[in-house]
Amino acid sequence: MATESLNGKALLDVDGVVKRFGGIRAVDGASFEVGEGSITALIGPNGAGKTTLFNVMTGFYRGNRGSVRLAGEEVLHLPAFAIARRGMVRTFQITKALAAMPVIDNMMLAAPDQPGERFRNLVFRAGAVRRREREVREQALELLEVFNLADRADHYAGTLSGGQRKLLELARALMARPRLLLLDEPMAGINPTLGRRLLDHMQRLRREEAMTFLFIEHDMEVVMNHSDRVIVMAEGRVIADGEPHQVRRDPAVIDAYLGGSV
Amino acid sequence: MSQLPLAFSLEAFTDFAFWSSVLVLAGIYALVALGLQLNVGFTGIVNFGQAGFMAVGGYSMAILVLKAGFSFWLALPTAILITMAFGVLVGLPSLRLRADYFAIATLATAEVVRLFAQNARGLTEGNKGLYCDFSGGGSVCYDDAWRSVSDSIIGFLDNFWSDPDALAPLLLAVWATVLIATVGLGYVQRTPWGRVLRAVREDEDAARALGKNTLLYKLQSLAISAALGALAGFFLALFLATVTPRDYEPLVTFFAYGVLILGGLASYRGVAIGAILLWALLEGTRFVELPISEEKTAALRFFIVGLALILLMAFRPQGMFGKREEMVLGD
Repeated sequence: MATESLNGKALLDVDGVVKRFGGIRAVDGASFEVGEGSITALIGPNGAGKTTLFNVMTGFYRGNRGSVRLAGEEVLHLPAFAIARRGMVRTFQITKALAAMPVIDNMMLAAPDQPGERFRNLVFRAGAVRRREREVREQALELLEVFNLADRADHYAGTLSGGQRKLLELARALMARPRLLLLDEPMAGINPTLGRRLLDHMQRLRREEAMTFLFIEHDMEVVMNHSDRVIVMAEGRVIADGEPHQVRRDPAVIDAYLGGSV
Repeated sequence: MSQLPLAFSLEAFTDFAFWSSVLVLAGIYALVALGLQLNVGFTGIVNFGQAGFMAVGGYSMAILVLKAGFSFWLALPTAILITMAFGVLVGLPSLRLRADYFAIATLATAEVVRLFAQNARGLTEGNKGLYCDFSGGGSVCYDDAWRSVSDSIIGFLDNFWSDPDALAPLLLAVWATVLIATVGLGYVQRTPWGRVLRAVREDEDAARALGKNTLLYKLQSLAISAALGALAGFFLALFLATVTPRDYEPLVTFFAYGVLILGGLASYRGVAIGAILLWALLEGTRFVELPISEEKTAALRFFIVGLALILLMAFRPQGMFGKREEMVLGD
């Protein structure tokens, strides 16, 4: 599929990934690349294997075959936490706000390089732990400001509305300072104003920090207007891959969405 | 007096020797329950094997002193390390299980430890238990070193308090340990390390997605709780002056859960209060005089404790110090 060369260097290279559940091939040899600093949409009808592919890429499922390379390094057989630390961070379709923890703790949890996460540092590097903790709190508050959640910082995350939880999860993922952020239906369930804000923020991060985004989305308007590239999956495979205007006219894509391929 | 339908004998308030042993027991259970609080209340791992960790701690200490010639003071840290290693060994395969299976695995492990102690007579003397070794002509008991310290504390207390209670030094030692453990756990819980534990409790997948090695944190939580179990095992061994399998039955763990429920989930402060309350209820009810036979009164005591727990669940499900929000929001 990835015959067409990308403008930038490929940050992510997915090649021939297969994930079987018993006799069902949920992902059946998916291959594509994601260019560094791009915003790429992953679309496809329900059951196409998009979320399963996310789960394989991020180590939540073990892939049966294929390879997933992040900046040239194979990550397919690494545990989920190790993949996240290498810079590929995901959010979930059904939000996973840590409900019985305050919003600010949700945010601070995600920050990388926290010496205070190692038990022995609590005793031997108490100063460093405190300094980093102050930095992390400041960053967390700044980011909450961007997502209009600053006034909820000390509330339990479980008291937030569905849309706010979605924003919190995105903000939390950004706290982890990822190189590549995988978003599973980020727009679902949030109101248009907040959605607009979220998209603006994605564009700004891509521009200012060269952050790369791969997102699953069903809202075609968002996909067509806000992504540089669209990857279309159906029945576990990538059936189209190109710029939004190309993909839109691709007969295979129209077929897949209308259920024509038998 | 004993003819009255329900009376409270005056002894209940004056008998210091009685209450000091109740408080020692409460302190021991507070240590056990502090470990459970760390596991259940703050990491979300349902550990039902605390009695097993107590047994490993108590037996390791006694065996190291009596059979391996360790000094008591060296045996204590060594036994703690052995118990922590045992906790990690138990946790490595079982922490990958779902919460309820993990609970069963730990309960079973604790029973394996107890039954092993009952049957490995060469090492543990079986049901007879361990206390002193008379083989060398004289006698060596595992608490010799503690008793000399205890005697000097009593000598010191004698300056302020005529005829101090024999249990006073143990009482002080247990509650000093409870205090240190409570403050220490409260501190680490507020650090980034403690934050990761709470994230694991809330949603392990979310924590993994943010780069946290959740198995490592669950193992650390279990190892620390095993160390607290070992400490409780030492104090129980000093209190009872014997280490026998029947002191480590699963009931010990269940009582510690009672402490946890009374004090409230996700609160370290509540544990000490819960432990005192549970043992005051359990033992204080001994003084209630009823016009029925003694066996019936004995059974009634547990009835009263059960009733107290039911009332608590009905009117204050979060326990005395637990946070209601965390209980409701935590699904």
